[in-house]
Amino acid sequence: MHGRSRDRPKTGRRYALVGNPNVGKSVIFGALTGRYVVVSNYPGTTVEVSRGRAGFDRDSELIDTPGINNLIPMSEDEVVTRDILLQEKMDAVIQVIDAKNLRRGLLITLQLAEMGLPLVVDLNMVDEAGARGITTDADALAETLGVPVVETIATQRRGIGGLVKAIAGARPSDFTVRYDEDLEEAVGEVAGLLPETNISKRSLALMLLAGDASLAPWVERNLGEEEVAAIREVRHRLEAHYREALSSVITNYRLVAAEAIVMKVQRQMHVEKRPLAEKLGALAMHPIYGIPVLLGVLFALYLFVGVFGAGTLVDFFQGTVFEGHIGPAAVGLFDRLLPFPHIHHPVPTSPYNYEVTASLSTLQEGFRFVHDLFVGQYGMITVALSYSIAIVFPIVTTFFIAFGILEDSGYLPRLGVMTNSAFTRIGLNGRAVLPMVLGLGCGTMATLTARILETRKERVIVTLLLALGVPCSAQLGVILGILGPLPFTATLIWAGVILCVLLLVGYLASKVVTGDGEACFLMELPPMRLPQLTNIAVKTIARIEWYLKEAVPLFILGTLVLFTLDRLHALAALENLARPVVVGLLDLPPETTGAFLIGFLRRDYGAAGLFALASRGLMDPVQSLVSLVTITLFVPCIANFFMIVKERGAKTAIYMVAFIFPFAFLVGGTLNLILRTLEVGL
Amino acid sequence: MIEVSEKRHRHGHLDWSSHAKDEILELIWTQAEEGKDDLEHLVETANEADARDIIKALEDDGLVTFKDDRALLTKKGLEAAVGIIRRHRLAERLLSEVFDLEDEYVHREACKFEHILGPEVTDSVCTFLGHPPVCPHGKAIPRGECCAKFKRDVRPLVVPLRDLEPGERGRIVFMTPKEHEVLDRLSTMGLIPGSVITLHQKRPSYVIRVGETDLALDEKIARDIFVKKAE
Repeated sequence: MHGRSRDRPKTGRRYALVGNPNVGKSVIFGALTGRYVVVSNYPGTTVEVSRGRAGFDRDSELIDTPGINNLIPMSEDEVVTRDILLQEKMDAVIQVIDAKNLRRGLLITLQLAEMGLPLVVDLNMVDEAGARGITTDADALAETLGVPVVETIATQRRGIGGLVKAIAGARPSDFTVRYDEDLEEAVGEVAGLLPETNISKRSLALMLLAGDASLAPWVERNLGEEEVAAIREVRHRLEAHYREALSSVITNYRLVAAEAIVMKVQRQMHVEKRPLAEKLGALAMHPIYGIPVLLGVLFALYLFVGVFGAGTLVDFFQGTVFEGHIGPAAVGLFDRLLPFPHIHHPVPTSPYNYEVTASLSTLQEGFRFVHDLFVGQYGMITVALSYSIAIVFPIVTTFFIAFGILEDSGYLPRLGVMTNSAFTRIGLNGRAVLPMVLGLGCGTMATLTARILETRKERVIVTLLLALGVPCSAQLGVILGILGPLPFTATLIWAGVILCVLLLVGYLASKVVTGDGEACFLMELPPMRLPQLTNIAVKTIARIEWYLKEAVPLFILGTLVLFTLDRLHALAALENLARPVVVGLLDLPPETTGAFLIGFLRRDYGAAGLFALASRGLMDPVQSLVSLVTITLFVPCIANFFMIVKERGAKTAIYMVAFIFPFAFLVGGTLNLILRTLEVGL
Repeated sequence: MIEVSEKRHRHGHLDWSSHAKDEILELIWTQAEEGKDDLEHLVETANEADARDIIKALEDDGLVTFKDDRALLTKKGLEAAVGIIRRHRLAERLLSEVFDLEDEYVHREACKFEHILGPEVTDSVCTFLGHPPVCPHGKAIPRGECCAKFKRDVRPLVVPLRDLEPGERGRIVFMTPKEHEVLDRLSTMGLIPGSVITLHQKRPSYVIRVGETDLALDEKIARDIFVKKAE
């Protein structure tokens, strides 16, 4: 949900923001560049690199990187950050440290120092540290490390000026972590085999000794067979000296050094009063009270997005604004500008149907073509804009607002605590809650966020479930809009079926997908915070902008496809072709074929098509329910498909779609059969 | 070490290695535990081919006496056997609980431990394990001096994190995850031996605080973090 630009300066300086997850790198990026990247209160918001031009140096590039806990990476997003430092020459690395978690930050500082990179340390969130009785002597830290150290409260823009000044004084730290003799000797040996790179040979040697598997591509490109064999030999010889893995040994030396620095520069006073937010956070994870909290959150979400967004707002925009004013006005305008003999009669099935009252000349046929292109049954204004602006837009807007509040409160990781055991049954763990819930915003972004998961197996399962059955905000809103008028049982059946399908497919996938070791559930819980209105507003606007840029063109494209098919009389042929499935298997009216067809482009667009059919009374409740289950499970939208190709490979993506497409109809057909056999009345 | 004793025996030394004697003393004890003290049965059950000769040697040492066809431990023999059994069973507990070894290894390795642990180390192991009353198979572990000293505080000194109650604090003594990646991950989050953690809750997932970092983890990890309770 954030844009990228790669307007790389040819001669200018390059800076990188580096640090632990959730320490405020993206906020500082925003403050320094004036560009917004999504900021949330949970670790792993940034999984991709953002680049921008720093305000203080017009000829520069500032890079925002995914959070890391160690420069020996353990997940794909951490690899991204390490690779940037390895492959791009930095004029300064700005390390952001959460002032209340200094030791964890210093573990990274020491590695950056080892790399020999020009460094500036920014102690951020000094307000939160202060509230917990923690004070850090920035001058003492600067003296110890030999680099500038500044304090900031980035969310309030405090200290940013000082940070900018400090960046100019960035220099390599003269602090060195000393390892034992054996290790130092091995480091020396390996360093002798390495070529010059952007980072020091010493640090690279330590990474190679630690057995960092993610370095393999670099090794292949930069080292000969002889060197690789020699390094392996040194490593094996060294491994015999220690009980623990070398990576643990190395990390331990660094942690000991970090701890010594913390002891020197930080003071903690005991604070009796813990913030109220902390109590709320505990409540949200409580084995008993956590459940009503979750239900409450869901209900609030339903009220705001389902009832207010998909009900009140859509009624207003679709019913009053579009069908009451814009639609008729546009029709009137085209009728006046491009006249041909026809009358519109507002039949309930489609307000834009008309009858031609006389035979048309060639010119009039041309007028009619343009008329239909804009205000016909598959017109740009009557369908593409009406669906995207009047139906989906209010829904995604309300969703993005609600979702932004949830993100910034710190609730989502706590939801992971509540759902961990359910996730373990489908081969995942509580960490997967982040990509899965993000999928309710946008499946494409969520697929990217699967990077925060440790194992390939988890990433594949999450990607599959997202593609299969997690409805994105737009689709979810439209679905709630259709379910709204139906009895509540319908919503329960829909949610129950989708949940069962996700669990079943997840369970089967966990048995089928081969894994590379079992991941343990270990997740950092950010503090609960009161969401800041400005961030919610900015974030919502950024996401709406993204929606308008990405979704509206696809809506227009989809409508054009339908329009063309209709012109070529291929739509009717397709409806006939799909009749055995759509009518035979699912018992749906043949018109729904069009909705499924555009569902290939975007599932929410398909759902919007169903919404239009349902609101004109073309489907009975059971038909609505069956069509909704089918469209929810329908193939992922084009953007998501390409994201799966990019992240998981074309083969995986094709396999997934090949499974999902027939499976969606199978589930829909089964549900139809059950509902009809049991004569469930809705 | 057992190999060594056999070699000596083959060379015709009459001075039986202490290992072989220990084994027989242990056997007499365990047989007695099951209510058997028949000499013939003892000889049959023993692994050592020359069990009869070893028992004879034990009699010479004043550790065993014979009454009818029964082999009984003398007071001195009893003392020695109690020590052996205690070391063996404590070792079993240490190996199976702390190091999570398979049963067959546990037995084999415990057999070695019983011969080599000195009294101080034995008491330290016992204290470390919290003076456990029984071995992993449910048989009694003879009490040592250390147990009497700590009788009032029967709670173990070092416990897995999952034995802590919500609200309690503990100082990490060591961590034993099976994969070193997990260990590395824990350490980068600030979980290292010496750090003090507060357990907030155990269900639905474990939530702990270390420094100012709140972490959620599952029982799999909580099982492998050993802490000393802190006030």
